[in-house]
Amino acid sequence: MNSKATILLENIIFIVLNLIFLGILILFIAKQGSGAIVLEQNYAKQIALLIDSAKPGAIMELNMEKAYEVSLKNKYAFDKVVEVDNENNLVRVKLSPDSEYVYSFFNEVFVTDFTNKNGYYVFTISKQ
Amino acid sequence: MINKKGAEKVLSVYWFAIIVLVATGIFIMVYNFYNYPYDVREIEANILLNNVADCVSRGGIINSEIFSGNFENDFFSICRLNFSAEETFEETQYYVSLNLSNASLIILDFEKGNKNLISSCGLEKDVEKNNLAKCVQREFYSVGSNSQSYLIKILTIVRKTEKNVN
Repeated sequence: MNSKATILLENIIFIVLNLIFLGILILFIAKQGSGAIVLEQNYAKQIALLIDSAKPGAIMELNMEKAYEVSLKNKYAFDKVVEVDNENNLVRVKLSPDSEYVYSFFNEVFVTDFTNKNGYYVFTISKQ
Repeated sequence: MINKKGAEKVLSVYWFAIIVLVATGIFIMVYNFYNYPYDVREIEANILLNNVADCVSRGGIINSEIFSGNFENDFFSICRLNFSAEETFEETQYYVSLNLSNASLIILDFEKGNKNLISSCGLEKDVEKNNLAKCVQREFYSVGSNSQSYLIKILTIVRKTEKNVN
């Protein structure tokens, strides 16, 4: 192999190694951000804050596509992901059979939740 | 000479050391970032304050129930609030204080929730401020049915440190 070809090959190896390194880093960061534990906390707090700021009569639709993907991956039914405990004012988000995150809300309202399509949850707020 | 430089790029221990160092740095940063819980206490305290403000004054006109005499006792049912503690916490994680005055006359002045949380307010400049409860205070004027103006001062505090701070 002549010297020019060697330089080209070495540069290609160098670039490929760098790309692999960057790829692994991006994958790691993406995986950390879309993990079940992080998403459970994120959604539970988001839903609790939505309920807190809602008035009776409100209907809210929340895009939970990321949660849908994770629950599918963990073979957990999407319609069981969110559970609102109206008696104790708690929002429970579960994206796998082994984990859950619970956050409380202070607004004394009655909340019903259901999924109307894949990746979306609807919350209806009425008087307690 | 050029060949030597190319070989150095691929094989240099120095280069791999830098890669490992950068990777470790990014790993630590990402791990720390996602390991910390989202702190929503200030937003929660603001929402609580807005709820109390809406309950006391709707559209700039003061709620007539305030003058019924039972407002303080029925505060939770009138304002539709529930401060009952989550299982994680031993005591109430919320605090509300409401002061309603007309000129120099105080008409209503009461506090609800965990009074121990007041000590957290005013210490924002401290180093470990994240471990303290979050306080939000607001003052506004509202008009009564007799066209008199009232000054309303509301202070809300949310603790929930265990769920929002590592």
